[in-house]
Amino acid sequence: MLSSVFSFLLAAVLSPPAGVSAGDVPNDGGGNIEVTWARSTDTTVIGYRVLRQTQSSEQWETLGFVGRRSLKYDDDGARNGVQYRYKVIAESNAETAEAPPSGYAVASSQWFDTNTLPALIGTALLSFILLHFINRARKDKNLFIRRIAGLDAVDEALGRATEMGRPTLYVPGTSSIADVATIASLNILGEVAKKTAKFGTPLIVPNTDPVVYTVAREVVKESYTTAGRPDAFTQDIVFFVTDQQFAFAAAVDGIMTREKPATNFLIGMFYAEALILAETGSGTGAVQIAGTDAVSQLPFFITACDYTLIGEELYAASAYLSREPLLLGGIKGQDYSKALIVGVIVLGTLLALLAGLPVLKYL
Amino acid sequence: MMNFWTKLQALDRRWIYLVVWLVVMVPLIFPFKIRPVATPPVQSLFNYIDTMPENKALIISIDYAPASQAELQPMLIALLRHAFAVHRKVGVLSIEVQGLGIGEDALRQVAAEFNSHARTNADSVLNGRDYVYWGWTTPYITVMLGMGQRIARVFPVDYYGQKTESLPIMKHLKNYDDAGILVSVAASAYPLSWINLAQTQFGIHLGCGCTAVSAADYYPYVNSGQFSGMLSGMKGAAEYEELLERRMAQTGMDWGLRRKGTEAMSSQAAAHLAIIAFIIIGNIAFFITRRRKS
Amino acid sequence: MRRRIPLILVLVTGIFGAVAFFIPHHSIQAADESMRNDVQRIIAAFSLVLGVGSILAHHFTKIQRRTANWQYSWVTVVTLFVSAVIGLFGGIDPARPGILPTHIGSFSFHMQTLYMNMMVPLAATMFSLLAFFMASAAYRAFRARNFSATLLLAAAFVLMLGAVPLGRMIFHPLPSFAEWILAVPNTAAKRGINFGIQLGILATSLKILLGIERGWLGGG
Repeated sequence: MLSSVFSFLLAAVLSPPAGVSAGDVPNDGGGNIEVTWARSTDTTVIGYRVLRQTQSSEQWETLGFVGRRSLKYDDDGARNGVQYRYKVIAESNAETAEAPPSGYAVASSQWFDTNTLPALIGTALLSFILLHFINRARKDKNLFIRRIAGLDAVDEALGRATEMGRPTLYVPGTSSIADVATIASLNILGEVAKKTAKFGTPLIVPNTDPVVYTVAREVVKESYTTAGRPDAFTQDIVFFVTDQQFAFAAAVDGIMTREKPATNFLIGMFYAEALILAETGSGTGAVQIAGTDAVSQLPFFITACDYTLIGEELYAASAYLSREPLLLGGIKGQDYSKALIVGVIVLGTLLALLAGLPVLKYL
Repeated sequence: MMNFWTKLQALDRRWIYLVVWLVVMVPLIFPFKIRPVATPPVQSLFNYIDTMPENKALIISIDYAPASQAELQPMLIALLRHAFAVHRKVGVLSIEVQGLGIGEDALRQVAAEFNSHARTNADSVLNGRDYVYWGWTTPYITVMLGMGQRIARVFPVDYYGQKTESLPIMKHLKNYDDAGILVSVAASAYPLSWINLAQTQFGIHLGCGCTAVSAADYYPYVNSGQFSGMLSGMKGAAEYEELLERRMAQTGMDWGLRRKGTEAMSSQAAAHLAIIAFIIIGNIAFFITRRRKS
Repeated sequence: MRRRIPLILVLVTGIFGAVAFFIPHHSIQAADESMRNDVQRIIAAFSLVLGVGSILAHHFTKIQRRTANWQYSWVTVVTLFVSAVIGLFGGIDPARPGILPTHIGSFSFHMQTLYMNMMVPLAATMFSLLAFFMASAAYRAFRARNFSATLLLAAAFVLMLGAVPLGRMIFHPLPSFAEWILAVPNTAAKRGINFGIQLGILATSLKILLGIERGWLGGG
């Protein structure tokens, strides 16, 4: 009878969680301590209450309550440099069971996120390749890059506009200056503006971002000055329209149908308005050269435009048009980097195939 | 005859616009029934939400503006209906400021649908208990990263001005750990930001609802498992509505709710067939003209 | 000097931005957040002033010179001022009014009303043009001129038919085949293009940081 009473008492006592430990969350800016524990063996547990105490205080502060499936708690309110320890209490409907508290832990900021190490190595390697070829370009000025039809057509398209006495429209995308595609577009705008200044072709550059507008204005002004035609630059050439996507599309469509430019450049980052612009331009009979790295809009440009710069051809454009050796060296570097990535993919695929071969089980 | 084929090749585009308008309008007035069959990405997302643990919530991020409402609203409505039908808590936020009104409209509509059929208080869908609408704040990077730590800190008050911490639902929805999945319904590239920021750092499961034109961009992420499922355009919404209707019928919720995604499918099907017909006619004219010339 | 200061600024801020990705320390992250949120917003706010100035200059020039359709420039300018005044002083909606009255009886023209009843339908209308433009572009451009164009055409047919019930009626596995095209060849092609794009972004960013690419500065 005594043994049955004893068993009953043992069965009634809730078993606490085990192995409560606390440690600083790594690779963060501090303020986080992770508390972990092993599950209580009791199936009547409904959850765990987590409490915290600082070294200088006797008080235990309740942080929160987590469900029975949770085995960790992230204390994101810890102060850096302060020692904390934690207690975890298992709770059922009728009872609680407390585990011995953890050791002291201190939250701290790290100076390097080790999760980003592969990204750092990759960036460093690819940057090294790029810089090597840029450097090589200083000595070897005759670097070959393949023909890009869209860029070869720029002179011809601008010549057509000059002969017809009609303007050239240049839309530098609908994204902000933070987008690298916009910067690439502005580089191309500089080259196009030099040619329109030289040929005396009117240029229209509508913008949807105020920052891009200010940069585009300076780029075009400088290009006209470099081409020896500063008098031909007017404030009318580059202007801000609106930052609303479809309002901008409507405005540019209106410019296309009224001004009837002979050549349209749609170069930069575009979204859903891409086809609206390209198809309207096609309807006015203009020659259209498009370039974007927005992969989802490429099919529309390819369908509706005469020439399309696909993805990285946009980034190669300024080097291609200016023929500056240092810029051409960068393109070479890109190509070798891509070859390296392809090589790694092929190697990885082969290794994965080989690792799955049944015959290896017998080796 | 040759002239006819040549003229056909150079057909005035306004005739094409007229035909497209007719094939879209007529099925809207005289719709024909379509029962879409779910594709694997839609089925995956549906299964995931359907089998989420009871203590996990669904978080929906409204990442689109009213311009894309026609295509994306049906999937938002379907997701909300699904979550409430399987008694899961829902948290809704908007990354796009113009999406605020959209979220409110959707929540009000779906809550009214469930409350009109509720027999007990437990069956009702109540703000603060069954769902919370956190609203919008900026910048989006802070939102995506901050929600992984404490949602109430990112949104101290909800859309209606109530203190977030005081809402009963927030006791069980502190951060991403309490969410089974976050679905980004987007017309832009925000789903990729959710992967880069929320999933990479905090490991939350993600789903995606996107416009049909963006869907091709997101297939790599569905294949790699970074998205647990995807709804692509109106067709994706219609497929989800079909799965949902069957699921709700299993639990006696045969309410005959309006399925806007499915309604639009008859117009979409007719438009697809019209475009196929145009392409075939254009190619026939092209080949005949080319053969006659050579 | 005029070119050197912007180049140094770009180098320093660019390297800081890149380094902040690798260093989670709170001091670095706070500075990075300040750059991204505060500094960028201040620059954007000031350039918005320049942007509005540009619209006004552009349209007043048209009005002055009486160029074609100059009357619409008045519409633009008047709308700009009226919506600015309503936005600043008229309140957001009837529940949150401003200091200026923006309703006549039950007819209200608060910012929210203007936005939902004018901007939203106009934007949706422009978006809906895509359906028409896609049809006309497809009719004009989808010709089986050569092998790759024919392949593209066949893929387009499969995908469009796979999206409608007729596809399943014609050939039962057609929708699955359409799904396969999206999931396999399309994904492979997009991944390849994305690799090239990301490398292009890395190269262009490096060239801008190091001052090799200076087109954005103005001139060569």
